[in-house]
Amino acid sequence: MESDKKPTLTSNNCAKAYEDSLQVPESASAIPKRRQDLLKWNGWGYKDSHFFVNKNEQGEFTGERYNISGTIMPGMKDFMMRKVSIDLNKKAPAQPELTARDIPVPITNNEFTSEIKKAGISFSDDAQDRLFRGHTLHEIFILREGRFERLPDLVVWPEKHEDVVKIVELAMQHNVVVIPFGGGTSVTGSLLCPVKETRMIVSLDTSQMKKILWVDEKNLTACIQSGIIGQDLERKLMEKGYCTGHEPDSMEFSSLGGWVATRASGMKKNVYGNIEDLIVHFKTVTGRGVIEKSCVVPRMSSGPDLHHFIMGSEGTLGIITDVVMKIRPLPECRKYGSIVFPDFESGVKCMREVAKQRCAPASIRLLDNDQFQFGHALKAENKSIISGFMEGIKKLYITKIKRFDLEKISVATLLFEGNKSEVAAQEKRVYEIAAQFGGIPGGEENGQRGYMLTFVIAYLRDIALDYKVVAESFETSVPWDRLLDMCRNVKDRITRECKERGLQHAPYVTCRVTQTYDAGACVYFYFAFNYIGTANPVHMYENIENCARAEILANGGSISHHHGVGKIRQKFLEPTISAPGVGTLQAVKEFLDPKNIFANGNLMIDVKSKI
Amino acid sequence: MSDNQSRNVWIKIDNPLGPNTLAKYKDIYEDVLDDRRLSSDLKFCLRNQENVPKFKYNTERSSSDIKEQVLKSDRVRYVIEHLISDKKSDKASVEKEAEEILAEMAHNFNMGSIRFFAFFMVKVFKALFRRVYVNADGIQMLRELIKEYPVLFIPTHRSYFDFLLISYICYEYEIPLPAIAAAMDFSNMKFFGWLLRQCGAFYIRRSFGTDKLYWAIFTEYVQSHIRNGDRPVEFFIEGTRSRTAKSYVPKVGMLSATLESYFKAEVSDIMLVPISISYEKILEESLYAFELLGIPKPKESTSGLFKARNVLNTDHGTVHFHIGTPISLRQWSVDGNLDRIVHSLEPRYINSLTDDENELSKKLAYHLVLEQQKMLVLSPWTLIATVLIQAKGGMVHIKELSKEVDWLKRQLFNLGAYVDWPANVQVENVIEHYANLHSNIVRVREDGIFEILSQNSVKRGKKLLQDEVFLNGATNVMLSSYRNQLMHVIVRVCLVSVVVNSCQSTSLKIVDMLEQYAFLERLLSREFIFISGKTKEDFNNAVIWLQHVGALHIEDEEGNIKFSLNKHIAFFSAVLEPFLISYWVLCQHLLSLPVDVHGRALAKKHKEIAIDAQQLGLKLLQDSVIKNHEILNLDMLSNGLHSLIDMGTMYKDKRVEENYVSPNHRLVSGIAKKLATLVETPSWTQIGNYTNKPITQSLSSKL
Ligand SMILES: Cc1cc2nc3c(=O)[nH]c(=O)nc-3n(C[C@H](O)[C@H](O)[C@H](O)COP(=O)(O)OP(=O)(O)OC[C@H]3O[C@@H](n4cnc5c(N)ncnc54)[C@H](O)[C@@H]3O)c2cc1C
Repeated sequence: MESDKKPTLTSNNCAKAYEDSLQVPESASAIPKRRQDLLKWNGWGYKDSHFFVNKNEQGEFTGERYNISGTIMPGMKDFMMRKVSIDLNKKAPAQPELTARDIPVPITNNEFTSEIKKAGISFSDDAQDRLFRGHTLHEIFILREGRFERLPDLVVWPEKHEDVVKIVELAMQHNVVVIPFGGGTSVTGSLLCPVKETRMIVSLDTSQMKKILWVDEKNLTACIQSGIIGQDLERKLMEKGYCTGHEPDSMEFSSLGGWVATRASGMKKNVYGNIEDLIVHFKTVTGRGVIEKSCVVPRMSSGPDLHHFIMGSEGTLGIITDVVMKIRPLPECRKYGSIVFPDFESGVKCMREVAKQRCAPASIRLLDNDQFQFGHALKAENKSIISGFMEGIKKLYITKIKRFDLEKISVATLLFEGNKSEVAAQEKRVYEIAAQFGGIPGGEENGQRGYMLTFVIAYLRDIALDYKVVAESFETSVPWDRLLDMCRNVKDRITRECKERGLQHAPYVTCRVTQTYDAGACVYFYFAFNYIGTANPVHMYENIENCARAEILANGGSISHHHGVGKIRQKFLEPTISAPGVGTLQAVKEFLDPKNIFANGNLMIDVKSKI
Repeated sequence: MSDNQSRNVWIKIDNPLGPNTLAKYKDIYEDVLDDRRLSSDLKFCLRNQENVPKFKYNTERSSSDIKEQVLKSDRVRYVIEHLISDKKSDKASVEKEAEEILAEMAHNFNMGSIRFFAFFMVKVFKALFRRVYVNADGIQMLRELIKEYPVLFIPTHRSYFDFLLISYICYEYEIPLPAIAAAMDFSNMKFFGWLLRQCGAFYIRRSFGTDKLYWAIFTEYVQSHIRNGDRPVEFFIEGTRSRTAKSYVPKVGMLSATLESYFKAEVSDIMLVPISISYEKILEESLYAFELLGIPKPKESTSGLFKARNVLNTDHGTVHFHIGTPISLRQWSVDGNLDRIVHSLEPRYINSLTDDENELSKKLAYHLVLEQQKMLVLSPWTLIATVLIQAKGGMVHIKELSKEVDWLKRQLFNLGAYVDWPANVQVENVIEHYANLHSNIVRVREDGIFEILSQNSVKRGKKLLQDEVFLNGATNVMLSSYRNQLMHVIVRVCLVSVVVNSCQSTSLKIVDMLEQYAFLERLLSREFIFISGKTKEDFNNAVIWLQHVGALHIEDEEGNIKFSLNKHIAFFSAVLEPFLISYWVLCQHLLSLPVDVHGRALAKKHKEIAIDAQQLGLKLLQDSVIKNHEILNLDMLSNGLHSLIDMGTMYKDKRVEENYVSPNHRLVSGIAKKLATLVETPSWTQIGNYTNKPITQSLSSKL
């Protein structure tokens, strides 16, 4: 880490390094209304930030936003050549910016549009606005190399709950399709427009509903408009000394409404809870009116919890507007850590024990060996793996005394939050447990670096695509007793499926355990392959991911821990929730949305239930 | 050989197929013993093991580690707790029992013993066999496979030597030696029982039906090997050595218990490798023959094995060892639409295979047997045996025999069988060679007549068995076991031939033929391996083949089939005759049982019925009412009885532990009548004389 430009970590380790790493500019919102002014239209994140291979064939990350920005990573190219067999001479450059001529002619509904105008709601049918969609591989690949068959015909920007009510009323009246759009970080194809839709499709962009309406310090709640994005929310609350603690890896760009609509999960859920634990109240505008509860209470018994019906509804039932969320005082102390384990298995055992003793820090994540090595490849200087990783720890100790095999070790990254003494106690306990499983502390920098990498990892897909490698991640939840078998079997399955499809190079598959629970864990897989020689890489990718999902289910894992179902996992919905389950969802949909104006085609829509 | 052969030219050549004439390499095969004959056995058994491939997810463990892990496993703990809470037993005694079971079961694999084993076996094999041919491609494939997948070896089982050979070949080719599921009887063999355990054999009781603890320990023990891929797991899907040299109906229990590891997603796949071992001369041939006749077999013992017939000094010809194409359980399950998600709701150590999984395992078991059959190598001797059985009076001239064998050889080639026929050697020479190899069964007289010998009288305990009919029977049963080795190739054609042969007119409707075919298939389904649901396909293929060789002609669109009785029909229907006549006699016996006022016969044990039917057969033979010695084969009679039970023609009466049955007269006589239309049987009146007499003297009392 000594080469990182801003050594932000002070010796007491309770400094604001973490906040700095988010790099939020001072403006009201970090992201402008015209996103494409700041963000890539056909890739991840900020325009100024991306990986590339420089003239000296070294990896580099541009910009100034992240700790890694501006550094040169000599190991990166080598890693990419080794793991995904890239050839520096074989590039697949993205197409130039698309114009109105390149995209479908919008279907118009003049009555609707003029009423919107009359109501003073901002709207646009500009090609660039229409083109800004989700981040599923399929979508990005089309933006880079292809053409969309169907896009929203109009984008509207409500600014408050009442605007949304108006838009939905008009949509009902004029039979217009409304697809809510939050931050566009969806990775399930949930923002794709159904190709066969002949009605006008309106993308309801919530980004201008970004205010914190009130903060109630007595009850520690805040009412927030659903379009606010994660980094703005945390920054604004921080000014008042609070936080929500909800930090999905996409928090720079994803929105509160999106979190509710997908049942999102934040990295610090061990302290703050997942989105369902954080929410106290919210309003949903449906075709039948607004669904909400009458009071802002911590819990109530009033029949099945309607919140739970709408959470995870993926835009199929209505638009989530104002959300009351729990807030917490900012923690006094925040400290990173890491543990090195001789292998993945002992790491998992340790995590299980930590979960059992319910002493998990705010975040604890375990990387498998491949991911650990990958993290190393992104180091600024070309050192041996161990000295690169093990600053402050004697290399001899790891390899000679502990006899760790560098090709096997796995690493856990930790984030502690609380007051100083709490953090100290937590640390002690976790490291003690780790020791039982052969784990030894690996230092704070490595922990912090791990979390920082989380934010830049998403940028890697773009450089991968530049070199004809398709890549995506997918996640699941799984009971503890099945975790190891599942990880191994899924990797095996993917490798075999690639081989059977005649891919020239072995795929890169790696995983990490990102959340622990009493009864199981969340596992994240990264999967990439070099598609040279294949006709339709996205299609192949999707097929293989489907096989991997089938394998996950066979291994006792779930359809998804937090990404959701969208369109890409629809076929697994019924096996997951049973035919009557699908029927129930469909019945509710039919009641709330008789005209099917929320016709985005996600979840149970179009699933042929056996009922 | 020159053109001007005299009639007896073959006699003058000492050994036309001596070791020198057999090549080290032949087609896809290579002889493993060849190098060993040229180099030091000691060096061979001491060579290092660095090249032995390993399963990629294996963690090294010792035999005692395995035991410990099994005892501590969730599965075993779970069952133990159940037994305790059901008040079946207290903790200390269940745990002790578990330890004892495991001690009795577990192998004690260690490299030292393997080296000793290799040293010893290479000598034995060099003495016993001329060549042991192995398909080299199979070896290469296995070496790669082992690294990637847990592997199951599923060999045919015709001899003790099967597992010795497999382990030896693995050693030879640097493949991890398998963990072998062996029957408990072997563990009692003095030296071998011990040696095998040191070399990876683990011993399973013959029956442990409802013993939950035993079942749990056994399952865990096997699955533990699969999961960790310590070594390939080997078991015999036929359950026991086939005494008849035909494939036995497969046993599914062991297989499905093993496959559970995949069904419950503990492993991502399991590769099943069928292995076919073909012996030119089976070491246990006469032991088997007497056993099939019902003469109690001596206890399994090592000295018994080797002394039996001075085994080590006898030429046992060559062995073909064929490693088949691996079957991926995953692929098999995907094709079978199996969804493993059903196991997500329960801990995996609870025994809970679904009906679909059991069904799939059963299908797979049958499939494996068919795969084994495909790779069996037919020795010319099996052809000779098949022809000899049909010879009138057990005698035939070499000329005639050659002609017939040559004809049969062509049919078998045509049906896709691998006949190990030496190139460029006269048929008569080949026959002579095999007559020498099997001089305990046949003799060639000076005048060129082949005759079937009767077996020497045998001693069992203090008694001497010397009944002539019986000793003849023993030879015939031996001979029929060699014929049996090629039955899987021709059986479907035989069934069609029987149907055609029995037809009174010269044409038949194809649907009627199929119906009769299906009847025969059901009746013989314990005798031969048929895949359920494939009857029509099998039938069609056999009809097409017979059409192809000119035995049948499709006459018209309606599917009328026209035929002339020709060589093919005559020969292939005759092959099946012994089976049908034996079954018919069995029916006659059942129909002759005295009935009570309700018209029911007294229910009896399976075994008793078979023995009584054999008794009837013996008398018919003695008086030459029938000529078919195979009627004495208890295995055949018991297969017949089980088929009758399967077909619902017997009343079942389950008493303590054992099943008792009695015939449903109407149905059994229906079967008997049907059989009488398909095969020439003695007349009713002839039989009546025998069946009305009460059976007084049982076979064993004659001993
Ligand atoms: C790099 C990366 C990291 C990620 N990390 C995480 C993570 O750590 N945890 C996690 O949970 N997810 C993660 N995700 C997935 C994604 O960020 C979440 O699903 C997120 O909740 C989506 O929010 P969004 O505002 O971007 O919604 P969008 O992508 O705009 O929309 C998602 C879905 O919600 C619907 N929707 C959006 N807003 C509303 C609304 N107001 N009312 C009704 N429906 C609405 C949309 O119609 C769509 O169906 C990650 C994604 C990426 C690309």
